[in-house]
Amino acid sequence: MNKAIIRTDLLCKSFGKLEVLQDISTEINRGEVVAILGPSGSGKSTFLRCINLLEIPTKGKVYFHDDDITLPKTNIAQIRQRLVMVFQHFNLFPHMTVLQNITYAPIKVKGLDKKQAQIKGLELLEKVGLAEKADVYPAKLSGGQKQRVAIARALAMEPEMILFDEPTSALDPEMVKDVLEVMRSLANTGITMAIVTHEMGFAREVASRIMFLDKGRLAEDASPKDFFVHPQCDRAKQFLEKML
Amino acid sequence: MKKRRLFLFTIVLVIAIIFSNYHPTIASSVGKETLTMITSPDYPPYEFYETKGGERQIVGFDIDIANYIKKELGFKLKITQSDFNGLIPALQANRADFVMAGMTPTPQRRENVDFSIIYYEAKDTIVAAKTSNLKKPEDLSGKIVGVQLGTIQEQNAKRISQKVADIQLKRLNKVPEIVQEIKAGRIDAAIVEATVALGYVKANPDLLFNIIPSIENTSGSAIAFPKGSQLVEPFNNVLRKMKNNGELERLSKKWFSATSSTSEALSPNSSTKIADGLNLDFRRIIPDIPYILQGIPLTLLFTLSSVFFGLFWGTALSFFKISGIKPLGWFANVYTSIFRGTPLLLQLSLIYFATPQLTGYNIPALYAGVLTFTLNSGAYMSETIRGGIQAVDKGQFEAAMSMGVTYGMMMWDIILPQALKNILPALVNETIGLLKDSSLVATIGVVEILRSAQIVGANKYIYFEPLLFAGLIYYALVIGLSFAASALERKLRKSD
Repeated sequence: MNKAIIRTDLLCKSFGKLEVLQDISTEINRGEVVAILGPSGSGKSTFLRCINLLEIPTKGKVYFHDDDITLPKTNIAQIRQRLVMVFQHFNLFPHMTVLQNITYAPIKVKGLDKKQAQIKGLELLEKVGLAEKADVYPAKLSGGQKQRVAIARALAMEPEMILFDEPTSALDPEMVKDVLEVMRSLANTGITMAIVTHEMGFAREVASRIMFLDKGRLAEDASPKDFFVHPQCDRAKQFLEKML
Repeated sequence: MKKRRLFLFTIVLVIAIIFSNYHPTIASSVGKETLTMITSPDYPPYEFYETKGGERQIVGFDIDIANYIKKELGFKLKITQSDFNGLIPALQANRADFVMAGMTPTPQRRENVDFSIIYYEAKDTIVAAKTSNLKKPEDLSGKIVGVQLGTIQEQNAKRISQKVADIQLKRLNKVPEIVQEIKAGRIDAAIVEATVALGYVKANPDLLFNIIPSIENTSGSAIAFPKGSQLVEPFNNVLRKMKNNGELERLSKKWFSATSSTSEALSPNSSTKIADGLNLDFRRIIPDIPYILQGIPLTLLFTLSSVFFGLFWGTALSFFKISGIKPLGWFANVYTSIFRGTPLLLQLSLIYFATPQLTGYNIPALYAGVLTFTLNSGAYMSETIRGGIQAVDKGQFEAAMSMGVTYGMMMWDIILPQALKNILPALVNETIGLLKDSSLVATIGVVEILRSAQIVGANKYIYFEPLLFAGLIYYALVIGLSFAASALERKLRKSD
């Protein structure tokens, strides 16, 4: 059995005439923590969103465990349960309490018993350090707290893989640490993660692999050590100079 | 002895059969035991609501005649009501078996319905302000003359205007309105049937009336039936009998007793000045208040069910619009443009009168009202809801989808609650609008608040008091609704 959870084959995406992604072929394997880096406009987020088909690829294939999920017959809702996403702007449901946010999908989508879902939800809140906020509405939380709730909400689905789309970009600097802390401990549990981020230090320390995108192409694919110490292409060098 | 008994019994039996035979023919000729009469009970003394103490009963000259015929022919009588203009359409839509509403058999009407013989010869009068000195048709030259739309008086007024130069006719829906127009000075005079005029002149001492001497084709009242009805002959027989046995005479005395002495008694040309102001006297409607209040539950029921169903239908339409499925979106857009682009009153009349003829289902007025308002408010709400849905942050859709929530669940649990919260003020506006527009269903005969007030006004020959009282009720209901809405809004805002 192939241990790749996600495989893309000549993945292309364009918005009108603008080609955002060009011929991306890669695999993400079980247990990997992939940091997707690149200058803004390089297509990082689009790539991530093509993986769970929030964006429909213009050309090319996306395989989830060897199944081509770009086929029309795919039940994408079922795939997405195992491939959840954490967003830059958290996207918590404002009309639900923190605990309801976390238990909603497990109850409705996975058919979990309400009591069980709540017990598990509280455990997860404990894990992200927000147990006392269970009955609060999202509007009362800080950005960092919201993002930690969003991570707990993702975890509640017990996914095979979590897609992080710039999870700390919308946060005040002092909030970033808490969120990265949660993500770091998550990485240590062995769950597969793909993270679009601008946090170089975090990528270097936590990621097991770096994908560097430039102008919609996969310009470099390397271990953090190689990427940060010996970047191959010029664009990566320039990028690192600016960032570090 | 025994034989004689048997003989007598046989004779009784034969007579019974002969007489009873009469009844089955009536019932079987139309295939039903209950006959439905439709009338417009805002035309005392022909037909009007007796409203004292909150009870509601249509009474009047026509009603007494109908009841007499009922007894003679042995059917059960059901009386329904609508606007005068809706009576003949109701016959054509098979909503009723006959009309009694002081209706005159004009040639135009004869094209659409059959008439009985004339059961009452009416006289027309010129009603005008006491100070005006308008008595004869010739006096009306250069004047504005009011008539009730669709009545024989309208026809007769036309005839007068052909002979007398320069008469400008103004057609109004109801006699009370005509009377108010005279009092307000917007029209100079009106052509009104004598018995009706009598009542109004009594209640409004600043008016007087004069019987118009002779117009060819006197305006008489007859019973109208659907074309080809089997009922015409039996009814005519009873009417003839009533003429012969003095019953008609007795009834017309009962209801029109004062008519004979009117001209002298009521048209003395005392030049009392027309009183200034509205001369409000709310004591006059105190006995009728319970009756007007009875319209409230109906108005509320009507409004709330229309809002309820309209919300569902509007939501469905808004989903069609954002579905991206071309035929659905196209349907919803065309639908919306039609229902927003035509008057509500027109839609109401079409649905009420056309449904029985198209589907055979004799839709009750209240259902027709709720259906129309649902269809209409659905069109408006679909746009509001569409806006509300599209205003929900895109991230909410993505977050739901990214966890595998299905489209239906996402819409119901995540998107709509947020959309509804945002559009609540707009929905409250729509509800308030519906509450007030509910008065339109009066045109198809639902007796809601405004209609009750008009009925009371027609009975008492007054205008402003019941209307102002109805306005007060509407205002109180709207205030109540607004309070309920802000309570709901506070509840929804608890997550902010």
